Amino acid sequence: MRQHVAALLWRAALAAGLVCGIGLLPWLTRTDPALTVLKARSAERDPTPEVLADIRDQLGLDSGPLHLLGQWLSGLAHGDAGRSWISGGEVLPGVLRALGVSLLLMTVALGVAAVVAALVCARTLHLGARRRLDGRRAGGTGSAVLAALPEFLIGSVLATVVGVQWGWLPALGWYGPQWTVLPALALGLPAGAVLGRLLDDLLPGAFDEPWALAAAARGIPGRRIARQAVRRCLPALLPNLGLFVVGLTGGAVAVEQIFDIPGLGRTTLQAALAQDLPVLQAGTLALILLGAVSTGACRLAARLLVGPALRDGALTTLHRPAPPTRRVQPVVHGAVLIAVVALGLPRDPLALNTGERLREPSLAHPFGTDALGRDLLARVGHGALDTLLLALAISAAALCAGVVLGLLPRLSGPLVDTVNAVPAALGALLVTAVAGGGATTPALAVTAVAWAPLAAHTSALLAQERVTLHLAATRGLGASRWYLLRHELLPAVLPPVTRHALLRLPGVALALASLGFLGLGAQPPSPEWGALLAENQPYAERAPWAVLAPAGVLALLGALAVTAAGGVRGPGRRRGDRTPDVPPARPPSPAKERVGAR
Amino acid sequence: MRLLRSRLFAALVLTPLLAGCFASQGGESKESGDGKDGSRLRVALAFPPAERLSPYGADATILSRLGVAEGLTTMDANGAAAPALAQSWRQEDERTWVFALRDAAFQDGTDVTPSAVVNALTRATRARPAPAALFGVTLTAEADGERGVRVRTAEPDPILPLRLSSPGLAVFSGKAYGGDGGDGGNGGGDRVDPVGTATGPFELTKVDGASSATLDRFDAYWGGRAQASGIDARFVADGTARANALRTGEVDIAEAVPVAQAATLDRDTRHDTATTRTTSLLLNVSSGPFEDPKLRAAARAAVDTSVLAEGVYEGYADPGAGIYGPAVTWADGKRVKPVGRAGAGRAKGTSITLATYDNRPELPEVAQVLKQQLEKAGFGVELEVREYSRMESDALEGEFDAFVLARNTSVDTGDPVAVLSGDFTCDGGYNIAQLCDKDVDRAVAAAERTADPGERQDAAMTAEAEILGTDAVVPLVHQRVITGVGTSVRGVVLDPYERALVGTGTRR
Repeated sequence: MRQHVAALLWRAALAAGLVCGIGLLPWLTRTDPALTVLKARSAERDPTPEVLADIRDQLGLDSGPLHLLGQWLSGLAHGDAGRSWISGGEVLPGVLRALGVSLLLMTVALGVAAVVAALVCARTLHLGARRRLDGRRAGGTGSAVLAALPEFLIGSVLATVVGVQWGWLPALGWYGPQWTVLPALALGLPAGAVLGRLLDDLLPGAFDEPWALAAAARGIPGRRIARQAVRRCLPALLPNLGLFVVGLTGGAVAVEQIFDIPGLGRTTLQAALAQDLPVLQAGTLALILLGAVSTGACRLAARLLVGPALRDGALTTLHRPAPPTRRVQPVVHGAVLIAVVALGLPRDPLALNTGERLREPSLAHPFGTDALGRDLLARVGHGALDTLLLALAISAAALCAGVVLGLLPRLSGPLVDTVNAVPAALGALLVTAVAGGGATTPALAVTAVAWAPLAAHTSALLAQERVTLHLAATRGLGASRWYLLRHELLPAVLPPVTRHALLRLPGVALALASLGFLGLGAQPPSPEWGALLAENQPYAERAPWAVLAPAGVLALLGALAVTAAGGVRGPGRRRGDRTPDVPPARPPSPAKERVGAR
Repeated sequence: MRLLRSRLFAALVLTPLLAGCFASQGGESKESGDGKDGSRLRVALAFPPAERLSPYGADATILSRLGVAEGLTTMDANGAAAPALAQSWRQEDERTWVFALRDAAFQDGTDVTPSAVVNALTRATRARPAPAALFGVTLTAEADGERGVRVRTAEPDPILPLRLSSPGLAVFSGKAYGGDGGDGGNGGGDRVDPVGTATGPFELTKVDGASSATLDRFDAYWGGRAQASGIDARFVADGTARANALRTGEVDIAEAVPVAQAATLDRDTRHDTATTRTTSLLLNVSSGPFEDPKLRAAARAAVDTSVLAEGVYEGYADPGAGIYGPAVTWADGKRVKPVGRAGAGRAKGTSITLATYDNRPELPEVAQVLKQQLEKAGFGVELEVREYSRMESDALEGEFDAFVLARNTSVDTGDPVAVLSGDFTCDGGYNIAQLCDKDVDRAVAAAERTADPGERQDAAMTAEAEILGTDAVVPLVHQRVITGVGTSVRGVVLDPYERALVGTGTRR
């Protein structure tokens, strides 16, 4: 009980801290809110001192941030979230309406994601149900590619092809069920691919557990075993699902823009840019509440799914035995990527020639040219180093932070929810406020959010790992906590979380590019991959190659990361609890040999 | 059976809940089958209302483009004042003008009387922040007889009739200002409700936040009944989405299609109009390398504007001729050669920062082309691109050596001199070039004093020549705006001043 109270207090403290942080934002970043509000109202209006003074007066800015914050909070107690600084309209009805729109979009998108995840796992489920999984690994290239594709790219392709050219579904607007399909697809496809990969990563382990073997021996149909296997793996995924619930609700800015949906993402983005603090505070608070609710729901669901087992410590470790990894796919992906970069490097990525703009791929320009007539192959090649190094460094930092914080779930759980609920633009602004506009700020801003899903994943795996039989046995033999952590928990948790981090690598590159509007990150004409995608997006229809090239290499990077990470295994894992179940037909795995040697 | 019932119950509960999560489509069709009554126009506008359609801010343009509101005067295609609610006007003395009202009615059924006009103007002068057109002007209005309104200004104001054409000074009936709608708090006091209270050919009936608005024809409009029976306006901020809306036939008119999307529209649906918007390169005169007039001249000489017009704007722009472009129809015939230009020096690797913003997608591209052109001339160029509101204060403080800016040269009042005094004089509030030059100030002040429209234009061109002579500004291109118009639509008003779009003759 005390724990619950403490967690609740921590959560409340974080939310309060965030709201206060927003309240102080203009003063922290030293950006005059009167100026940003004026520009949001009327971009062409000259910011003369008189006009700014009038706005300051109107908003009561001179009374200082603390007074404003106090006023807003006391209003909130009566259910009044204040008035928008831009429009002067009431905040609460607008935010609630946008939230409703976004929740609906998120729900449909999660439906799509569920279908996609099912398709990603279909092969593993099919084989696992028939106990033919040994030694085979799902390739994962397709899902990794899908997971690497940015939502805005899928969105614009769907809007143009399905909406405009085929005319099957409305290309923009938000007026009824058929309007939800395309945006939900744009959001759900990559989300489903990520969730599917995570699930697919766990399923072989579940099929390898004794109950599955026993059930198969008992003659229980494969279909039912598969269902139970999914049920066995879902709890580890639920925290990430919870993050998607909030992330898709508040972070679907690009898709909302493409399909002209009046959702919460755009509302909060505009409020963050204009420093419309009441709207920003209300929107963020709504997302935090949603995060808390969805976490609670996920925890409840996890308890319903594996509650008794968790309580009784009756789980086995859920990790598939190391299969003989086939190293062909990563080698192929890596070779193609290196070839592209190597071919691009000798070319000039900055030489522009507007006479050659948007040329189709040809011998002279194998990937075509962009809107300023620059060679895309050259730009992709030259952008590789920056993109890869930075994205890898950020992913590594996020992985470390995620695992460390994930080991402390009571501390990090509410923190993960809060960080995840913060709209991206706001997060970047807050980081800039704290860290200044230096060269490392964009990396910090991305790292500050990238660790959250990894920590959630770590905690979820840990919760199950802690109650496994072999851990109880090791503990019984007198192992210290430190020993348990080093030799049992970390080796079990690290590989899947590392694979997860690598799966999100392309996303990190894209997130970096999306900070450009704040003057952070790569500035044009730098050919960083995320920036390439963003600058060519308006030409996606006229010159598909201009977006295909950067999207292709990003997807290739994703596929490379995922297939190569198939080999990421904890060294020296003991599988004492598992060895007896190993079917005799299976070739001896390295892990087993090591156990035998001991 | 129980299962079925609970599902039915769930469906009954969910349906209204879900309906609440969709936007309303607006336009409950008053559409009648017979062609005589005209059909409704569907319009996609680029800028959603920021201040609940308050006429005192930028939203005034929405009201004027949709034919909702009008003022005493309007601006004609040549940028001169033309009659609107005022049939005629005369100047009594330097500070006093008298406007004679025409017989017109407000959309709420009341008549446009001098007292209503006086009330509207007085309210506008009291609004805080003041409407842009009233910046620096103290104005009082009073009724003058049965049909006249006398307007006095504290200082002589030779362009008052033009000033009153600003959408920010539109006239609404007393009902619009009736109380603050329980607003209290910020902005409550000046809230003007334009729904059903204006005088234009179309009457706002419903506004759905920042996503759509519904308008019906106002049958008693003084200028005759509009041909379209109403307008369903949608605010679509994304340019690609606007183009898509036109291509799928969801709208009849799509405002401001981005250059990148123009090629995706059918040739007969895209209409381009020269605008008063000039993209220029501003060079920081007061600090950094461009203090040296020879380097400024070198930068000017390095820039090839036709590459920008063709290569970046795909022909939807005219190469820079001056501060005023071809949309300012009188400018071309009166242009004066820039005076006192320095000879081009040699850059010799001077490094400069070139800044611009990404709110207009073409600007970063322009900056990148400029970077290459300047580097060819020997400059070392570093680019800085941000969101506009995040960079304006830095630009005004002269943080950057060079700045690419798209500027509407016919700001708020429609007076050509305003942009010169704001952007290029010592006291200018928007002087990104940090220019402070005695000759320029003198020429601009002379233009500001000139009352006769023709002479004022001549004086403006003289001042332009002075400014161009300093090389503080290099005009790059004069933008053309692309309006997507469905093939069945006739009579769209393509206004270079971007104040009108739908008129009485617009029909589908």
